[in-house]
Amino acid sequence: MNNLFIFITSISLFFFIINRSVVASFSSNDLIGVAPQDEVYYKELWSSGGGSVKCRDGSKSFTKAQLNDDFCDCFDGTDEPGTSACPTGKFYCRNAGHSPLIVFSSRINDGICDCCDGSDEYDGKTNCTNTCWEAGKVARDALKQKIATYQQGVTIRKHETDEAKISAAKDEAELSKLKSEEKVLKGIVEKLKEHKEQIEKVLEKERIQKEKEEKQKKEAEESKLKEQKGEDKVDEPVKSDDDKADILDNSPAGQEHAESALEVVHNAHASLDNGEEHSVMEEDTSEVAPVSDPDTGLGSKGEDATKDIDSLSREDLGREIGSRWTGKKTEQQNHDVDDVKNDDRTSVDVQDEESNGYDTETEEDHQNYEDDTEDHMDDVADEANDDSSSSYNYEPDEEVDMSDIESESNPSWFEKIKKTVRDVLQAINPLQTPVDTSEAETVRKEYDEANGKLLKLRSKISRLTKKLKSDFGPEKEFYSLYGQCFESKQNKYVYKVCPFKQATQEEGYSTTRLGNWKNFEESYSVMLFENGDNCWNGPDRSLKVRLRCGLKVEVADVNEPSRCEYAATLTTPALCLEGKLKELKDELEVLDKQQPQIHDEL
Amino acid sequence: MITNLNPNANTLINSKRFRTILNCKKLKTKSPHQTLTSPLFSTPQKNKEKTYLFHHFTHKNPNSYSYYYDHNNTTMKKSIHYLIYLTLFLSYLTTTTHSWKKEEFRNCNQTPFCKRARSRHPHSCNLIPSDVTITNNGDLVAKLKTKPNPDQDSSDDHNPDLEFSLSVYKDGILRVKIHENQEKDKKRFEVPDVVLDEFESQKLWLQRFKKEVIGDDLLESFVVYLSDGYEVVLRSDPFEVFVREQGSGGARILSFNSHGLFDFEQLRVKKEGEDWEERFRSHTDSRPYGPQSISFDVSFYGADFVYGIPEHATSLALKPTSGPGVEESEPYRLFNLDVFEYLAESPFGLYGSIPFMLSHGKSHGTSGFFWLNAAEMQIDVLGSGWDAESKIALPSDQKRIDTLWMSEAGIVDAFFFVGPKPKDVVKQYASVTGTSAMPQLFATGYHQCRWNYKDEEDVKNVDSKFDEHDIPYDVLWLDIEHTDGKRYFTWDRTLFPNPEQMQNDLASRGRRMVTIVDPHIKRDEGYHIHKEASKNGYYVKDASGKDYDGWCWPGSSSYIDMVNPDIRSWWADKFALSEYVGSTPSLYIWNDMNEPSVFNGPEVTMPRDALHYGNVEHRELHNAYGYYFHMATSDGLLKRGGGNDRPFVLSRAFFPGTQRYGTVWTGDNTAEWEQLRVSIPMILTLGLTGITFSGADVGGFFGNPDTELLVRWYQVAAYLPFFRGHAHHDTKRREPWLFGERNTQLMRDAIRVRYTLLPYFYTLFREANVTGVPVARPLWMEFPEDEATYSNDEAFMVGNGLLVQGVYTQVLLFSFMTYSPPYG
Repeated sequence: MNNLFIFITSISLFFFIINRSVVASFSSNDLIGVAPQDEVYYKELWSSGGGSVKCRDGSKSFTKAQLNDDFCDCFDGTDEPGTSACPTGKFYCRNAGHSPLIVFSSRINDGICDCCDGSDEYDGKTNCTNTCWEAGKVARDALKQKIATYQQGVTIRKHETDEAKISAAKDEAELSKLKSEEKVLKGIVEKLKEHKEQIEKVLEKERIQKEKEEKQKKEAEESKLKEQKGEDKVDEPVKSDDDKADILDNSPAGQEHAESALEVVHNAHASLDNGEEHSVMEEDTSEVAPVSDPDTGLGSKGEDATKDIDSLSREDLGREIGSRWTGKKTEQQNHDVDDVKNDDRTSVDVQDEESNGYDTETEEDHQNYEDDTEDHMDDVADEANDDSSSSYNYEPDEEVDMSDIESESNPSWFEKIKKTVRDVLQAINPLQTPVDTSEAETVRKEYDEANGKLLKLRSKISRLTKKLKSDFGPEKEFYSLYGQCFESKQNKYVYKVCPFKQATQEEGYSTTRLGNWKNFEESYSVMLFENGDNCWNGPDRSLKVRLRCGLKVEVADVNEPSRCEYAATLTTPALCLEGKLKELKDELEVLDKQQPQIHDEL
Repeated sequence: MITNLNPNANTLINSKRFRTILNCKKLKTKSPHQTLTSPLFSTPQKNKEKTYLFHHFTHKNPNSYSYYYDHNNTTMKKSIHYLIYLTLFLSYLTTTTHSWKKEEFRNCNQTPFCKRARSRHPHSCNLIPSDVTITNNGDLVAKLKTKPNPDQDSSDDHNPDLEFSLSVYKDGILRVKIHENQEKDKKRFEVPDVVLDEFESQKLWLQRFKKEVIGDDLLESFVVYLSDGYEVVLRSDPFEVFVREQGSGGARILSFNSHGLFDFEQLRVKKEGEDWEERFRSHTDSRPYGPQSISFDVSFYGADFVYGIPEHATSLALKPTSGPGVEESEPYRLFNLDVFEYLAESPFGLYGSIPFMLSHGKSHGTSGFFWLNAAEMQIDVLGSGWDAESKIALPSDQKRIDTLWMSEAGIVDAFFFVGPKPKDVVKQYASVTGTSAMPQLFATGYHQCRWNYKDEEDVKNVDSKFDEHDIPYDVLWLDIEHTDGKRYFTWDRTLFPNPEQMQNDLASRGRRMVTIVDPHIKRDEGYHIHKEASKNGYYVKDASGKDYDGWCWPGSSSYIDMVNPDIRSWWADKFALSEYVGSTPSLYIWNDMNEPSVFNGPEVTMPRDALHYGNVEHRELHNAYGYYFHMATSDGLLKRGGGNDRPFVLSRAFFPGTQRYGTVWTGDNTAEWEQLRVSIPMILTLGLTGITFSGADVGGFFGNPDTELLVRWYQVAAYLPFFRGHAHHDTKRREPWLFGERNTQLMRDAIRVRYTLLPYFYTLFREANVTGVPVARPLWMEFPEDEATYSNDEAFMVGNGLLVQGVYTQVLLFSFMTYSPPYG
């Protein structure tokens, strides 16, 4: 250690001697580690009176002898730009041929070449070859490539933001149109409802009247019969009891039915579970308590749980105890349950959230959605097999389902319905008795139809409103991502990122939600998905998507750096910013300036 | 011995990437006991005893008594902030602290030998030494005979004589062995390969004994020389052994069986109808050799406190476990166990066992007692007044702490150390079991671990982040997931396709890698280790003689029988670069689960009736199993490097002597303040009992530490001998740069302080290597006269020159105090 110190001292001494000849001036060796633009700061040190310079933080000052003497005088490292004495110091390497680099003072003479020009290793113990030219060339090429991408990207982005503005305006117009239609339709529906209710009232009255008459008639007949025969009254309830018994007798058949249904369910379960089910069966037969409680992991306590442990077979006990550390077995079980759940959720899931927002939607409609999505997902899955990254629209159902009220495709439907209703209302007089039943039917039908349309209209409005409320960035540059999903296939998983909606991880038939759309972060360079499916003994899953400039929208590098906290990147032209392009160009310019010069030297 | 930091040593370390060497004037020590805190500098105030501390970033304002965690915030904001934290913290506590499954482990009442020994009455021992002679080997020997009882027919239940021997070693060490006649089929186990070979050469050959009548004794007692100023007395009736200051009225130092609690269950033939089996929960212990336990009392005189007997998560000064005012307390248990989520205050036995106790007091100073025995042990510290009923005639003018030692099997092989200074005792102990191995410099730096760094890219990324954030570190660790299906010595080639390249890349920046190798071997015919071990019969056997088949990470597993030196040698060869495919010279090893942990065994370990080499039952050597495994691994690395590369092996289980083979850590702790707090006494205790190179997982293994706790943990751990961040796979990532620039800076500073002090630490490790005096010391080791230090386990000394006080609570707005001993 002393040797090193002496060595360094002798180096500084050496520099010092050289400097004597250049009084009131300095060479670059004096100011080792100082960036050219900062050299002027140290000028005072060479003033005739042997001046001193203040530390940048203003705390102290130092003399020329203290400059790079490998002893930290300034807390901020001003006096030691070229040694590792100050922990907060920074060292500047020129790296001619490549770009200059500022490294931590800890890198100086630490035996590792950090600067491509090797200037950080000047104590003679480590020989660094100058690799700046090669590195610079590679860096320049990469930079050029990046600039090319940005140039194209900026154009695409411009186009997209223009488009987005048009689309947004269109959607706004559409929304206000739909809203006014909704208002009218609501009026119609109310009228029809009123009409329908009046008819129904009349019909009800008629029915009651009719019943009364029939009852009277029946009573009259009965009293006649009574007179003829005696007292059959007792038999009747007995008979009805028999009927009940019959029903009860039939019940075993019903049970059988239920049992076979259960069997089907069980089989389905078995086929889903595959190997896992096998072990469960073994446990069942081995006179030992069946599958352990999935809760006997970390969280559980108390006698019950531990009794379970005692009754486990040796192997299961090992698994169970081990699972406390890993959470694996228990998780596996949860996973199986998830699988079953997911079987019907996989397809529904995409719609779930949607339908929550639209309580008014009928079951039928919902069913349609499912079918549509399922079909569609199959298509996508096929694509995904070939391609590791792909995208699709997730709301095609909107088109299909809403076609009958889609104003663009069929602008006259609205007028039509208004006319029909007018006709109906005129033609039918609800106060007229007796009511013509076919007419009543017509009114009811019209009402149902109009009401159905109203509900669909409302859901459409709600969707559009939701879309328009979303944050698409300052220039609506993310507008086109709405309603789209992007996939990336990694090993056995397919990751699906649907901006503004949700992100999932799919493995075979099982889907795990990585998160619901939260928002953009870090000035629109990150998409956040949160509150996904919960992890055993861990947090709810979440996904952070880092956005990068790229010509196509693609998901890549899906990763799980922390358990159940996922990360991915998504390239999109939306991130190809003009300002950044300019920066890159400037950077290249600086590099190019240095290039020919050093090339000549070489 | 210790040199203070050389202020001229500017770049203190030349090793690659041992960066960030501070060169500030403040490191020039001005006084022999510079007080450096973590990261607080203490500044003496008018009140000489107490010192107020300041955050070192706010030391511009040294008159303020407030202590700030983040000086940028206003105090008002902060208090709210902390209250929120506190609330969160409390709610967190309520949900997680009770995961330790107490009922799955035996307590004393469920352990027959313990229950029995605890219920014995003082003076129930009816043995007296006879035929006392000095042998040709310079030992004093005797036969311990049962005293004839005039009230009883002595022909019944007559135990054979026990063999007693007493030897004296250099520097005030007394060794007492009590054994039964070994002419039986089953030999009682004597723990091999723990006592140093060279220790025997330090034996003082006894030439003669002196006879003396003590008090009103009817029989003569025997007195021999121990060391200058001390002698040993073998008292005949009542039978006891004690060390005293020279002269018939000399003050007692230590004594054995002064309360007559000695009992030795000799092996015997099973009587008809006798049931020797022991059942605990679903497990049955066949106990083919029946009861064979040993118990006795040991008294420490002039003692204010007793210390030692790790591993327990408890205070440094051991609290009484029995006696007036102590209700329902368990003895300190020594039984190596893999305890899931252990508690921060419990006498329950953890991963390792060292049956070595020290006492310290104002009047005598320090003394020590060590029982070399590897079976389950239970130790009671008896609170004063425990013997009020028994009318024991011991000198009452001397302060005394009595203890009760109980073991399931083995023999009495006991060592008494006279001290009288704290460092004398640890040196005396080290002369029996060895000093700690000298670590390589890299091992004393910062280690980064996680279960698990997933793949090569992850490793690369973490490694480069350290450089990016200018945080020094030396070793990157890979946990079990790096293997191919938990087959140790293999790699998961999907995740780690090029392990050599990965290690070489780290090595190019002077860094090392550590991989995990556990003693459970996957029972898989395609796995070369299993194939060889089963073919050669290298596994521990079950009671029926078949290879014992337990359950651990890989599933069905067997356990290498490390007690056999030949098997250890075979195992050591597995670490040759040619054998361990994918290893390079910069790879070192981590031995985990070596208690051994058996997921489906009784108390998560191996059945006591499992059989080892030499027909030794597992019950007899349980606590030493992990030690032999550690030894074999360490020997492997030594062989690999041709004797020129000092091994680094971290072990979870330990036993006396472990210090010669490597490092230990305190196992699976939890990310809670109280666990940070208890890590200090745990590490200090390990240091006192020989294992100086120890540490706790920084941040806590289970759970997510809040940022303040993590920062505090780094700040304290930087001053502890083994410095490694580690985390469970369910936790969030917690590398030091993930908590915002401010916290990155705090953690970076903490780690850098460690690197700044590396030469000091390295020097201290060398001191420990030569003398046995630990790197991290309880205050009373440096200030033995100062009673205020005796039970302080919040502050500690690094060497003799640095006092460290950690912060173990969320600091609200209160001032913070540490003890500052007066300069001696």
